[in-house]
Amino acid sequence: MITCPNCHHEALDGEIFCSNCGAQLVGHERQRTQAIHETDFPDELKKPNVDAPVSQSKIGSVLALYILDSGQILPLSDRNEITIGRVSEGQTVLPDIDLSPYKAYEKGVSRLHISIKKVDQNYTVTDLGTVNGTQLNGKKIVSGQSFQLENGDILSLGKLKIQTLIRR
Amino acid sequence: MGLEPNYYDRLGIPVNASTDELRSAYRGAARRLHPDTNVEPGATEMFLDVQEAYAVISDQAKRAAYDATLPPELFTDPPVKLSALYSRGKIPASKEPQLIYTLLELKPIQGNQPTSHEPLNICLVLDCSTSMQGVYMDTLKAASIELLHRLRATDVLSIVSFNDRAQVVVPGGLRLERSKIETSIRMLNTGGGTEIYQGLKTGYTEMSHIKRPDCINHLILVTDGRTYGDEEACLEIGRQAQIEQIGISALGIGNKWNDEFLDRLTSLTGGTSFYVREPGDIRIFLKEKLYKLGHSFANQIIFKHEKMPNVDLQYAFRLQPDAASLETGNQMVWGSLPREEKLLILLEFLVQNVSSSIDELELVTGRINFKIPGRATLSYSQPLRLVRPVSRETDAELPPLAIMQALSKLTLYRMQEKVRQEIEAGNIEAATSRMQFLATNLLAKGEKDLARTALREAVNIQSMRGLSEEGGKQIKYGTRALLPFNVPSSSGAPEERHHQTD
Repeated sequence: MITCPNCHHEALDGEIFCSNCGAQLVGHERQRTQAIHETDFPDELKKPNVDAPVSQSKIGSVLALYILDSGQILPLSDRNEITIGRVSEGQTVLPDIDLSPYKAYEKGVSRLHISIKKVDQNYTVTDLGTVNGTQLNGKKIVSGQSFQLENGDILSLGKLKIQTLIRR
Repeated sequence: MGLEPNYYDRLGIPVNASTDELRSAYRGAARRLHPDTNVEPGATEMFLDVQEAYAVISDQAKRAAYDATLPPELFTDPPVKLSALYSRGKIPASKEPQLIYTLLELKPIQGNQPTSHEPLNICLVLDCSTSMQGVYMDTLKAASIELLHRLRATDVLSIVSFNDRAQVVVPGGLRLERSKIETSIRMLNTGGGTEIYQGLKTGYTEMSHIKRPDCINHLILVTDGRTYGDEEACLEIGRQAQIEQIGISALGIGNKWNDEFLDRLTSLTGGTSFYVREPGDIRIFLKEKLYKLGHSFANQIIFKHEKMPNVDLQYAFRLQPDAASLETGNQMVWGSLPREEKLLILLEFLVQNVSSSIDELELVTGRINFKIPGRATLSYSQPLRLVRPVSRETDAELPPLAIMQALSKLTLYRMQEKVRQEIEAGNIEAATSRMQFLATNLLAKGEKDLARTALREAVNIQSMRGLSEEGGKQIKYGTRALLPFNVPSSSGAPEERHHQTD
């Protein structure tokens, strides 16, 4: 039995292309597939330094995500709810924010990992029922329930650590 | 042929078989038929027959004496060269099920080209229902007239029109003047419903009256619609046609016709089905069809074989010419071998319980029968035996490039086949996800339009629990059209894998 590296389907010995997803099972040259959807990050707020203030709209609070390993800061647009996860080929429902450039797959980030909601001037985080779970400041949060986010909180999506920067 | 199987037939080897081939065949047959392992009635007699044959053929003097009693034609060179490429050099012994692929190549042996052309006996069965009215009917008429003018003096054309009923518009036997036939074509009208059975039956009857063994007999069905309730009767005509050696091909116009049905009907006789998306396709198809019919090296190629223990022929596909999936069964219809192109067949075997105590595993043993135009009274037959050595270790080598390429494209066609099966079984989730995978793969191959269609159909599967008429056909015939391809020549394959069976 071979396990397909792409879709994890159980394939038979001697099977050359996965009968479930079509991925090549033998040989070193794996077919590279292209993501069908791409998310754009607004350019304005890519700052390497965590101390640099996040300049944003003058009204209300704003939230940005600071990816600890890479130093990247991602602003979240002023929407009431944003899903965060990892874009994967062949999925029709995609997260608003794609963490795949940050080694999301290796770190166990699910395709739809968390959602961040804005209620009045507060932000909450919800784990969307993921396999590897989400930790808030080191403590695992139960799926499906919302937890308040403060400035400087550290979320672990699987092993990917993100710090929430909130400016009120 | 009506002859009793000779000793070579009993063993499944060609008359010029080497000692190794002889021994391998004998061991395989003995294992299969030995009374200890095989309790089927008649197996013991067959075993004794095989023993008797081996006793003679394995002895040089006795073999020579026996050969002298056989008809001389058997000893001339076989007209078709058969070669096989396997996905694995050895099969590892294992209790678990495994897959192994074989790519079969048939090609004419140089110097055996026929000098005469066999006359064609063609019947056009044309759908004249109301929906055909307009540009399709006009184009069909023009294409039919063009076909008429391409025929040679010895060829025969008959035409049947059908809607709710059928009528013979141009009887073949009368050998009418071309101008009269042309007029009859121009006067075709449209109106009424679609009863394919009526058209098919009338066409088949017409052909049976005029067919001759030295003709290439072919019926071409052109329709844009569905027939209701008489599909099984049509398939029965297909089966009958195969026995009578009348080929059936079909042109499906637009989106409403039943592609599963027409594909099945045509594959019964080794004919081809074609999806007409725009009127211009009709001309192209008829022209190509006529050319292929008149330029084939061998026709009515049928592979008869017996099932081997622990081996299942799961899937068979003709890659070239005219890509089509083939029905597996003890008698497989492979179609025709063109003069200028190879016939390529891909076989997928599921193998179980490969014991480490045997040296070799027989995948299949059988004979390929066919006719060669110009020598039509002779039915040719060549043996085909696919065997792999068994080893205790796993074979880590990559399959040959030709097999990788063939499978890579075939996988896409098979994925859409599976999507259809899943929809039929009601597995909507599985079908949707598989269609999405298919879209990804199509994009990776640069097929942007097809990928988009696949994504749209994935949505349709979820919402409508089915494929759209147009989308479904586009994906089926679109993935099918990705084959054929250029197979690297046999000399490109690693030596150990290339097993010549001539």
